[in-house]
Amino acid sequence: MFHWLEKHPFFFAVGVFLTVAFAGLVTILPNFAQSSRPVIGTAPYSTLELAGRHVYIKNSCNACHSQLVRPFKSETDRYGHYSLSGEYAYDRPFLWGSKRTGPDLMRVGNYRTTDWHENHMKDPSGVVPGSIMPAYRWMFTNAADIDTAFAEQLTVAQFFSVPYNKPVPMRDGSTMVVKMGSSLADANVLALAEAKVIVEDMKDQDVKDAVANGKIPEIVALIAYLNSLK
Amino acid sequence: MDIAELQAYGYFALTVILVVFLYTYIYHLYTKRKDADGHDYEDYGNIALKDDIGDAPVSPMSDDKEK
Amino acid sequence: MENRPLEYDYTVTKMFMLTTIILGIVGMLIGVVLAFQMAYPELNLVLGEGLAEYTNFSRLRPLHTDAVIFGFTLSGIFSTWYYVGQRVLKVSMAESGFLMFIGKLHFWLYLVGVAAVVVSLFLGITTSKEYAEFEWPIDIAIVVVWVLFGISIFGLIGIRREKSLYISIWYYIATFLGIAMLYLFNNMEIPTILGESAAGESGIGAWYHSVSMYAGTNDAMVQWWYGHNAVAFGFTVPIVAMIYYFLPKESGQAIYSYKLSLLSFWGLMFVYLWAGGHHLLYSTVPDWVQTMGSIFSVILILPSWGSAINMLLTMKGEWQQVAASPLIKFMILASTFYMFSTLEGPIQAIKSVNAIAHFTDWIVGHVHDGTLGWVGFMIMAALFHMAPRVFKREIYSKSLMATQFWIQTLGIVLYFTSMWIAGITQGMMWRAHDEFGNLAYSFIDTVTILHPYYTIRGVGGLLYLVGFLMFSYNIYKTMSARPVEESELQSASPMGA
Repeated sequence: MFHWLEKHPFFFAVGVFLTVAFAGLVTILPNFAQSSRPVIGTAPYSTLELAGRHVYIKNSCNACHSQLVRPFKSETDRYGHYSLSGEYAYDRPFLWGSKRTGPDLMRVGNYRTTDWHENHMKDPSGVVPGSIMPAYRWMFTNAADIDTAFAEQLTVAQFFSVPYNKPVPMRDGSTMVVKMGSSLADANVLALAEAKVIVEDMKDQDVKDAVANGKIPEIVALIAYLNSLK
Repeated sequence: MDIAELQAYGYFALTVILVVFLYTYIYHLYTKRKDADGHDYEDYGNIALKDDIGDAPVSPMSDDKEK
Repeated sequence: MENRPLEYDYTVTKMFMLTTIILGIVGMLIGVVLAFQMAYPELNLVLGEGLAEYTNFSRLRPLHTDAVIFGFTLSGIFSTWYYVGQRVLKVSMAESGFLMFIGKLHFWLYLVGVAAVVVSLFLGITTSKEYAEFEWPIDIAIVVVWVLFGISIFGLIGIRREKSLYISIWYYIATFLGIAMLYLFNNMEIPTILGESAAGESGIGAWYHSVSMYAGTNDAMVQWWYGHNAVAFGFTVPIVAMIYYFLPKESGQAIYSYKLSLLSFWGLMFVYLWAGGHHLLYSTVPDWVQTMGSIFSVILILPSWGSAINMLLTMKGEWQQVAASPLIKFMILASTFYMFSTLEGPIQAIKSVNAIAHFTDWIVGHVHDGTLGWVGFMIMAALFHMAPRVFKREIYSKSLMATQFWIQTLGIVLYFTSMWIAGITQGMMWRAHDEFGNLAYSFIDTVTILHPYYTIRGVGGLLYLVGFLMFSYNIYKTMSARPVEESELQSASPMGA
């Protein structure tokens, strides 16, 4: 058998492929259904939050910040409850990160405010002396891409049955509905309404003016996303 | 039997098969010493050394026809 | 034509040598900038406030990893394939117009892909998955490039004169198949232009945007199955292919044990794929995946060391060559670093060690042991060996080469020692509690303490970059150095002063 394989490159290639593929099949496939079930209290992202998530990804925040609290006392003390698989059910892609140059952000919404983020994104070392995080001032002028966020909501609702406009169970026994626009114009109206709530707590006059004029800067979307991380 | 159990059995069985396969291969290499064409395995190390286009191949493609 | 003897045709090899060097400089330069940005954050504004968005750490970081992986390393792999492939199969690219065409198409499409990647990453168009940041249009281009690589591999094998496939060819085939499978599965994504609103609108938003087929924990498992094995099939398998050819050829010694090379090959193929779970220890993936990731990572030492020891033993009785030839020095140090990082990796994969090491700079240090010491040194050695043969000229300067070797070795040592200390310091500080059971340090304490190590790391990286520039200059000057005769090109490469 070995002699024969040595002389037949095609079957040799098939052999390599099977050997290599075997591990993937056994490790990954069988757990798919189980891991993707959301835990109670996990809701899909709203349009503005999703746009903020895109800003987070666009600027590779995940290169320095993890979103995964490991089950150690030191981590639960610092960041809150350890992560559960179902909490990530609506994360496409996952943003666990692989390096903590800065702190974990899995539950940053529990202990940081809109105001804090606004100051921090403008001048990180002014808020946290010694910080090596760069400033992200362009986020205060660049417009958030609400259209793409809406397109993504439609796609996940259509292909992965993410429950938009449907009741989602909460931890206290109540339910909540995450609304998704019925048209592009409707989605923009919903996002703007959310943005208005965020800017109430902000100080930057240019950002306030932009939102008043119907435009949403990236920073507003990003803060909406960060506040949703709980 | 749920999927996890199947996975475990499947994993165990395949690991055993592969281990058996690997050791048979080692046994095969070191007892036979030569491959199907009668070349010593160690001769193949020379493929890298005698690799000018004019050098004679260690195991020419035309071997089959001669036999 | 009739009377000219048949020769190997290195046109495509030369093209990819060029991109290896250029993308190597780009990727390493960005790496050095990033390293100093972490030590001195003001450097994020190096080109002023107006361009801050594009010179920022966060935009440059994926550009660095992708430039060195898909630029430098992949070009090196392609360039050596078009060299080694012809030679050990004893068939010239000049014999097949079709394969020559495929080879050139392969190069030009690759270049288009590289350009698209650079532009998109600067603009922040990314999927965020490490080493798979590209959006779907680029993914499709990459698949096409990869298929062309496959056609060229199997095409050359199809018209070969040497019946038996040399061990390097096995590794190149495995590279092709492995990456193909991993890349396809990890990049399963749905373009969001397909989403249709209740009002019947579709094609909304950015056309290039897509959403991953997998969510959360599943996405993480697929990503690290990919991420870990992209390292296997991009940084290990093809580099082993190179050393199995270039070390014996340069030293004139056949592989110590060909049988051992076959065994290690199959061992590596089987074990490597299981080890991806070690990136996800203490996360929300199932426990058994984590445990298996740990166990198989430790087992992985065996096949890795099988190859490494085989390389070192190839030099048995010929160690004076290591002292005499800087080219052999590069390869021997490469295999030593291979042994070193394949021992360090499994140690970090042990759960209790990983609890400290994960998320810290120790991991960054480990990656760079492998990439700077093993991948970088081997690819440079391969180019040094190929240069006299493809240009038919002696290597411009042996002493420049020796100087480069020592400068870069010093760079690597500074790099990994500083990252070890930084990583372990930070890992220990994160978990430290005071006598009352409260956290002993706030997060920022664990950042400011790293400043000296980040500076040392930056210097280490800079030394490596300087060495790489010396390498580039040496290769450039080789193109106009003293011509050599065919007879001088048997094993050891000819070198000028």
